[in-house]
Amino acid sequence: MPIVVNLDVMMAKRKMSLNELSEKVDLTLSNLSILKTGKAKAIRFSTLEAICKALNCQPADILEYVEGPET
Amino acid sequence: MSNSSNFIFKALYIIAWIIFVGLSIEAGGLIVNFVFSVYKPEFVPHLYQKLDLSAMYNRSQWAFFGMYTFILAIAMLKAWLFYVVIELVGKLDLAKPFSTFVSKKIMLISILTLDIGVLSLVARQSAKNLLHHGYETDELNRFWVDGEAYILMAAVVYIIAIIFKKGIELQNENDLTI
Repeated sequence: MPIVVNLDVMMAKRKMSLNELSEKVDLTLSNLSILKTGKAKAIRFSTLEAICKALNCQPADILEYVEGPET
Repeated sequence: MSNSSNFIFKALYIIAWIIFVGLSIEAGGLIVNFVFSVYKPEFVPHLYQKLDLSAMYNRSQWAFFGMYTFILAIAMLKAWLFYVVIELVGKLDLAKPFSTFVSKKIMLISILTLDIGVLSLVARQSAKNLLHHGYETDELNRFWVDGEAYILMAAVVYIIAIIFKKGIELQNENDLTI
């Protein structure tokens, strides 16, 4: 998919584990894992807001558009 | 799921089983009838359905085997149809109904129903043609009286199958929305 999720990069920059982020944004580990691995079809604004707040970053730090084949 | 829905589903499951057993007995009886018609025609009056087509057999084997093919195919398809209904009602989870299994079964029900309807219409027309040629086909009409109803039902079930297919896509998308 042309939209790439850089959640793992931001988590590494903030030195935050998946468990810690899961507790802070109130999402299950499996859902966070789906998001992190790029399997998610959509992301709610509320989820994006919670992640940005927890990682102290902007949406563009997490989501990136890369030219590629659509799925 | 409410108690009344649970009760209705259990009742439907039992009714589907009863109909399936009835249709299987009918199909089995017709197969036995067919075998005896070919090898021991004198026993036919003692059998289930008492379907005696020996006059047709003596006049034209093509007509006899053709009509019996229609009768047996329709009877077996009806039994298969209700077996699929049993599978569907038995495994349907009303809390999460949009699964690939349910979609496939509903599509299969639609196809089987259409097959039964089309076969019934073709059989009825063939029987009419035989009647014009002087064959006695009155006792065969009861096997294909409801061809149009099956075709209409197939159309309705097909629409439901398409809705389920779309529902699965929506459910998958919803599951993958974080």
